[in-house]
Amino acid sequence: MVDVAPVKPQLPVHMRPSIGVVLAALALAACTGRESTRAVSENGGALVISVGGDPDLLLPPLSSTTTAQIVEDLVYDRLAEIGDSLNTVGDAGFKPRLAKSWTWAPDSLSIAFHLDPAAKWHDGVPLRSADVKSTYRVYTDTASGSPFAVTLASIDSVSTPDSMTAVFWFTKRSQLQFFDAVYNMSILPDHLLKDTKGAALRTATLARTPVGTGRFRFVRWTAGSSIELVADTTNFLGRPHLDRVIMTIAPDFNTAMTRLVGGEADMLEQIPAASVANIEKDTTLRRTLDPGLDYNFVQFNLRNPKQPSKPHQLFGDRALRRALSAAVDRRSIVMNVYDSLAFVAVGPTVRAYATTDTSVSPIPFSVNDAKRQLDSLGWKDSNGDGVRDRNGIPLEFTLEVPGSSKARTRMAVLIQEQLKQVGVKMNIDQLDFPAFIGKEGSRDFDAVFGGWHVEASPGSIRQTWGSGGTAKGGTNYGSYSNPAFDAQVDSALSAGTFAGRRSHFTSAYRIINEDAPAIWFAEPKRIMAVNRRIDTGRLRADAWWATISEWKIPADKRIARDRSASAPNR
Amino acid sequence: MAAFLARRIAQGLAVVALVATIVFFLIHAAPGDPFSASMDNPGISESVRTAWRHSYGLDRPLTEQYLRYVGSIARGDFGFSFSLQRPVRDALASALPNTLLLMGIALFAGFAIGISVAVAQVRRRGKASDRILGGLSIFLFSVPDFWLAMLVLVSLAYWIPLFPIGGSVDPVMHDMLGPVARAADRLKHLVLPALTLALLYFPFIARHQRAALLESITSDYMTTARAKGVSERSLITRHALRNALLPVVTILGVAFPALLTGAVFVEKVFSWPGMGLLIVNAIDSRDYPLLTASVLLGSMFVVTGSILADVLYRMLDPRIRDER
Repeated sequence: MVDVAPVKPQLPVHMRPSIGVVLAALALAACTGRESTRAVSENGGALVISVGGDPDLLLPPLSSTTTAQIVEDLVYDRLAEIGDSLNTVGDAGFKPRLAKSWTWAPDSLSIAFHLDPAAKWHDGVPLRSADVKSTYRVYTDTASGSPFAVTLASIDSVSTPDSMTAVFWFTKRSQLQFFDAVYNMSILPDHLLKDTKGAALRTATLARTPVGTGRFRFVRWTAGSSIELVADTTNFLGRPHLDRVIMTIAPDFNTAMTRLVGGEADMLEQIPAASVANIEKDTTLRRTLDPGLDYNFVQFNLRNPKQPSKPHQLFGDRALRRALSAAVDRRSIVMNVYDSLAFVAVGPTVRAYATTDTSVSPIPFSVNDAKRQLDSLGWKDSNGDGVRDRNGIPLEFTLEVPGSSKARTRMAVLIQEQLKQVGVKMNIDQLDFPAFIGKEGSRDFDAVFGGWHVEASPGSIRQTWGSGGTAKGGTNYGSYSNPAFDAQVDSALSAGTFAGRRSHFTSAYRIINEDAPAIWFAEPKRIMAVNRRIDTGRLRADAWWATISEWKIPADKRIARDRSASAPNR
Repeated sequence: MAAFLARRIAQGLAVVALVATIVFFLIHAAPGDPFSASMDNPGISESVRTAWRHSYGLDRPLTEQYLRYVGSIARGDFGFSFSLQRPVRDALASALPNTLLLMGIALFAGFAIGISVAVAQVRRRGKASDRILGGLSIFLFSVPDFWLAMLVLVSLAYWIPLFPIGGSVDPVMHDMLGPVARAADRLKHLVLPALTLALLYFPFIARHQRAALLESITSDYMTTARAKGVSERSLITRHALRNALLPVVTILGVAFPALLTGAVFVEKVFSWPGMGLLIVNAIDSRDYPLLTASVLLGSMFVVTGSILADVLYRMLDPRIRDER
């Protein structure tokens, strides 16, 4: 809190107030109290965020870019919002938002959400339960093609017993029922969408000019240039502190950095490690460093790329995968590439999950162990060319790397060198991102340098590493399958207590680490640069923008563009 | 002239059709498709991707897709952009004016500076200033465009903050300004990208123009003019330059397509919302309709530039005009 020193006015005599007026003003000030004065000084300012590209759409069920998600999360609301702990079990970790309260049915197969009667759409229409029902329809209608439909699979239907109550009916009980109902669904205005269905949603006016209930209103989107939001001063949850949030689009990172250090932008996310030193030198900037929701890994293809019914001629062998894992010094590679800006991954998970036990450790690095294991498997350098072979087959494979990731490209080179020390030849194939993804999807690879950005719940591990993701179109690209691992994951996701959940996840990570279907490398930390005049407070691990309505620009730190604020609620 | 124009336009249309066909099949042959990036999201099931492909007709045979594409182009419908989720026509309509404005100014400035530098060099041929300007031209000619763009940006927007850092307008203040201030804001944002492009173009023009001028001033008619006592300045600007402009007209024809696609890196560095960025993003996201429409437009510019150069040549040079 910064108190601004009052400026003594020097008015001409004819404009000076009389004693009576002064006393009246003082009395009024005493009645309204200090809080309102403070509140006024806390509100105001324009936050300029530099983003890398345009949104695809501004309709939550259909959009897929981060820029779109930022805008949508500020303009729209969910029924309840997840807390900082990212506790997705039950409803304890959630705070009311559009739903003022909720009631569980005695059999736990339905939840009745009681809507806040004060909530209104930005066009003035009151929020009603029909909006919730209509939103569920849009998200789950196959003709809409929402990628989030799969996350709502546990919801059977939504009914509306009255205009302010929406009841979610579930197909089965689970600890993630509440999370499923609220986390992936932003409530949309029925009155603006009821006549639009299926593919027509993509071209609907609402998809480019959103009307929500959130604490910021949408003003405009100038393609390739900027997106502007303005404070909803009459919002049922109270007005945000900032007057405006503007996203400026800078596709080139160097330009975005120049805008940041030049003061034209207030914040920039996804700062690469190489630029951190520049930010630390700049006294106007502050860097934030938090555990992120990303991890990367070298994933082995356990199936033969040409004949998927057969095991891969190298990586179908668990013992060989373990030997390769032991041959790679993950810690030194991660340190070399990221310095202190990433954690060494402990498995297919991230530290931001409270359920992650960091004492779990993948196969330890030991060149001697690796050599011994390879020898015992019959992989020996019979012709003296430096590459081990067995039955005339050299121990050689190709690692597919997305060229767009400098970190993964650098790590690949270090891995190549370390594997060479134990007689393994690894070729590196750099691909542009669509080609890389195409290879992953068609399972046409020996090994890929993959990476996942996970959601707030660790449940996606079922699709990425579980047997359920091995089918065509699934995202378990290496086709790793172990029923014991699946069982532990299922037990974790249905566990009734946090301790039980953590214990089952720990067992699952131990099993997969022992099977070594991949070598897990780095968990890059989330690095952002923010101008020091912005008071951001806490940042949520899954969505740093979730708390923007609480961010402030103290009055004494405001600059010209903060005072130029357009009238909110135009 | 009319027959010549008709013949050239017919040839141009054939070229455009050929380019459109080649691009269509090439982009479809590249690995990945518009929805392959969604495979990076474990929440998106294969059934959703299949539904998306079906809704855009990508599950149909390639020949059928091609025929549909030709049919829609004939109707003036460029399709729907997968990545921008809007009609391609709208995407082009918002990006094209920005690029034409930037490139139009940059080309004009590039030609004006290039010709002026060439004239100055020829007037002082063999002297230090000729060698300095020549060296500067070679330096700028060999500099990578993105590097020069970054240098200009950092120098004139950060170290000496005279101009804004990228964008086409001030996203915070623009809409609150009056009409004059708005125009000034737009101009301020135009200066650095236009200056960068002009610096990249002018050495090319200057070198060609200088060579043409040097050849021109050794001609017999120049000796005659010199014998008549015409000043050196008049000799170059009034006599030699007119005749030496012809090769530059050829360059103008070649440079015309650059109006559309010549500023890919510069647009990226200056966050200029034009065609260059649109095309790069379309390639990255395998946005078939947007990419084919952009290439189609680019090929039209190439053909138009070539026809324009031919016509100008015939107008400027009677010898060509009289050829049958």
